[in-house]
Amino acid sequence: MTKSIEKLKIAIIGSGNIGTDLLIKVLRSPYLKCGAFIGRNLASPGMLSANSLGVPVSAEGISYIINNPDCCELVFDATSAMSHLEHAPVLKGLDKRVIDLTPAKIGLMCVPSVNMNDSAVEFNVNMVTCGGQASIPVAYAIGKTQDDVDYIEVVSSISSRSAGPATRQNLDEYIKTTEDGLKEFSGAKRTKAILNLNPAEPCVDMQTTIYAKVKNPDIPNLKKMLQPLTKKIRKYVPGYEVILGPILENSRIIVMVRVRGLGDYLPAYAGNLDIINCAAIAMAEEYAHVTAKIKQEEG
Amino acid sequence: MKRHEMTRNDCLRILKSGRDKLLDPLRQTELVVIGGTGFVGTWIAEMVASLNDEYQFGIKLHLVSRSTEKFSSQAPHLAAREDIQLIKSDVRQLGKIPMNTDWVIHAAANPDVRTHASNPLDTASVIVEGTMSVVRTAERLGRLKKLLYLSSGLVCSSQDSSLSENAKGAPELGASFIYPNAKRFAETVCSAARVQSRIPVLVARPFSFIGPYQSLDTPWAQTTFLADALHGRPIRLLGDGQLKRSYLYGSDAAYWFLRILTTGPSGDVVNVGSQEDISLQDLAEIVAQNFEPSPEILLNTSPRNQGRTTLLIPDITHVHDEYGLSVLTPLNEAVKLTAQWHQMQKNCEKDIFSG
Amino acid sequence: METNRKIIISDPTLRDGNHAVGHQLSSEKIALYCRAADNAGVPIVEVGHGNGLGASSLQLGEAKVSDQVALITARENLSKSKLGIHVIPGFATIERDLKPALDWGVDVIRVAAHCSEADICERHISFSRSQGVEVWGCLMMSHMLSPTLLLEQARKMESYGAEGIVFMDSAGHYLPDAVRHRVELLVDELSISVGFHAHNNLGLAIANSLAAAEAGASLLDGCARGFGAGAGNTQLEVLIAVLERLGYSTDIDLYKILDAADLAEQNIMKNMPTISSNSVVSGLSGVFSGFMKPVLRIATEFGVDPRDIYFELGKRNIVAGQEDIILEVAKDLTQHKGKRIK
Repeated sequence: MTKSIEKLKIAIIGSGNIGTDLLIKVLRSPYLKCGAFIGRNLASPGMLSANSLGVPVSAEGISYIINNPDCCELVFDATSAMSHLEHAPVLKGLDKRVIDLTPAKIGLMCVPSVNMNDSAVEFNVNMVTCGGQASIPVAYAIGKTQDDVDYIEVVSSISSRSAGPATRQNLDEYIKTTEDGLKEFSGAKRTKAILNLNPAEPCVDMQTTIYAKVKNPDIPNLKKMLQPLTKKIRKYVPGYEVILGPILENSRIIVMVRVRGLGDYLPAYAGNLDIINCAAIAMAEEYAHVTAKIKQEEG
Repeated sequence: MKRHEMTRNDCLRILKSGRDKLLDPLRQTELVVIGGTGFVGTWIAEMVASLNDEYQFGIKLHLVSRSTEKFSSQAPHLAAREDIQLIKSDVRQLGKIPMNTDWVIHAAANPDVRTHASNPLDTASVIVEGTMSVVRTAERLGRLKKLLYLSSGLVCSSQDSSLSENAKGAPELGASFIYPNAKRFAETVCSAARVQSRIPVLVARPFSFIGPYQSLDTPWAQTTFLADALHGRPIRLLGDGQLKRSYLYGSDAAYWFLRILTTGPSGDVVNVGSQEDISLQDLAEIVAQNFEPSPEILLNTSPRNQGRTTLLIPDITHVHDEYGLSVLTPLNEAVKLTAQWHQMQKNCEKDIFSG
Repeated sequence: METNRKIIISDPTLRDGNHAVGHQLSSEKIALYCRAADNAGVPIVEVGHGNGLGASSLQLGEAKVSDQVALITARENLSKSKLGIHVIPGFATIERDLKPALDWGVDVIRVAAHCSEADICERHISFSRSQGVEVWGCLMMSHMLSPTLLLEQARKMESYGAEGIVFMDSAGHYLPDAVRHRVELLVDELSISVGFHAHNNLGLAIANSLAAAEAGASLLDGCARGFGAGAGNTQLEVLIAVLERLGYSTDIDLYKILDAADLAEQNIMKNMPTISSNSVVSGLSGVFSGFMKPVLRIATEFGVDPRDIYFELGKRNIVAGQEDIILEVAKDLTQHKGKRIK
């Protein structure tokens, strides 16, 4: 149904596991092309993979983009919050679109199934958090279908193995960002986010429970909105599934979702990392379409 | 007095009485310090700036680091200098270091024990892969006179009351000991580089330091005592305070490293630290004396058991006999200067926020 | 064995006990018990939601009073005793929860994680230490790790700046030898204090606590009348009596702690903890005792045997905070009910 469009050139800064997983998704996308894979250490596994896949690599950091501005129109930043704060103004000055996967979060919060159009006109968007990507669509549906949303609580559990030092050292930021995102997209008066690391072996998939306290719970309408919304999410996160609910228990609305990853570079149980990357790709592909459309219209 | 005047005085004090002449080989040469923006790198920069300003040494200094911005904000008077160049780079990827350099000091490693605990793999990678990268790069430095590797006093252990360079005990196995094990391996890599690639390399083993530019956020005795005092809190000692430690002041350390670098024979291993041991209780008292009003000292705030504590007092016979080096800043003075510097910094921040 | 060896007692009656009443302890009850504990010379009194600071939630149960009210009330009613809190990163954040708690006068912070996840505590421990507050690291469900791996995690907390490590038998699963072995190893290898928190599912809380003390632990937890989730915690006044008889010094007045326990029984607790069949099962299966209420409720709702839920949860290695999984297990069990061969 979609016409074939000219591929959007992108760059990835951050050659760790997240950046490399993104690269594999980019290479699979019919709408994106990787113009540069940038990191700090040419000998890292990610860089070596990228090189072997024929992708231009660089250890020069953001300087590479400054010196080769034609390498990309859009940049995925998978480095760190501190680094992103440096990169953002530079990329803005170079007129590059940015998708921020760090905890920096200076741009618009983007949840593709919910605010893709608003995000498409922004120059810097961030992917919130993994728990946010999993729960915000549900919270959004609750906000839209229920009277008076007093409180939304989201509890995510991810496998211990999928949580590296960066996740563990940023739990507080995760909580705050998720709570802010939930509030913004649902209109709830109060929100709370909890993150559990589950050490069980074999590794568990990401699981998120959304609780809501609303004035007059209306489960049928919520179901009606959630079904097509879930289908939309599954287009870019095939492993996303509502496994329980929406139900009413103890007069609270409860929905449980599970996210299994694609297993591109990270193991499949790391659905938490996969959902963010899938969302980022979905956003980039949207940019690709918007850009192509603009180019067409410009003749 | 300003903070940078204080640290300048610290360097000049060390360099006077003809001690500057012992560093003559540095005149009109280039020095690269990898991991150059930490405590050691910053003090070496202070010392080089002093040598250049007061004694016309004409040294060109390059500091290689991942956190060059932090250096610029911590030591702006140094970052702004023409004779000091900041190169932003990871130690594992040294593409941009000047190939004409005469001297290299490899000081790249994170000494924060919390990072070792939470990120043992990254810790190991920076130390081990970083050192391999440094020695491989050194192979191509045509004018290299010496490479000095900063290892750690933790790479050996002994039952004696102080650690000599010949101590035979190795660190224990296990992730909890990743740092000393990685450092021990890195020392061995340097040795291999000397044998295989004929690189003139020697090793210094740093013990504990004290001084300006040491973050009070770290969980060491000297930093937590200072932090407690600085914030007007009682100084808390977990145990009975009888555990012994020693501390070398920053400017002394910088001088020692430069002296060892320039005159040490390839293959040497040298302890860098103070032999003047002090109990934690006495250290707390000295810290307390430097604050007005003097904070209370609380002992045994946590009942200790008779478990493990690492011995960290260096035997500095070798560095004294072969290099003519000794501790010039006594501990009392070292603590006083450090306390003053942090108090100056705190007042400076207060002014910024109230001004 | 040394006589007059000191043991620090930390009393989480008003924290762990909160699990037993669905976190419904009122400020009056908090004030009442605090005064009694303070009077008895209890060194540390721990107060709050059963899962600690910031844990009041739909997932874990909403507390009757906010952390603020609970802690301020406690602070007002403790003059000699230190006020302690239990803090789990992932529930409590530094900005939103820990900083205000320090303002309200907390003296002791125990940063806790599931036994294998000590590194999530780095920031909370470092922060607490930087504020000059007494900070311990806690390893929960510690039976799930071998002694060697437990030591590894304890070492991490030591490097973050914890002044002591408390390992917890959250499921009441240990036998005394297992406790002794762990304490010996930790005491040998760490340079900081070692503490132990027992649960009574297999009737061994006192015995396990004694084994810990004998092996060199310097801190023990105990609750009045054992007030706590399920089978309850170590019965504090009994522990004091036994420790005193064995020649340990706790600085606690025996008569006054007995009075405090009487007071707790009459005014604060609804039921005395007993070892129910469910408790035996959760102890054997190594499942967190705090799950009892939701397991019972959901078992009734779905018409399944709560014991089956427990053994299934044990198999899945579920950790505290995973109450939502109980629903899933119950659902699965109803689907397989017809197929079960008894």
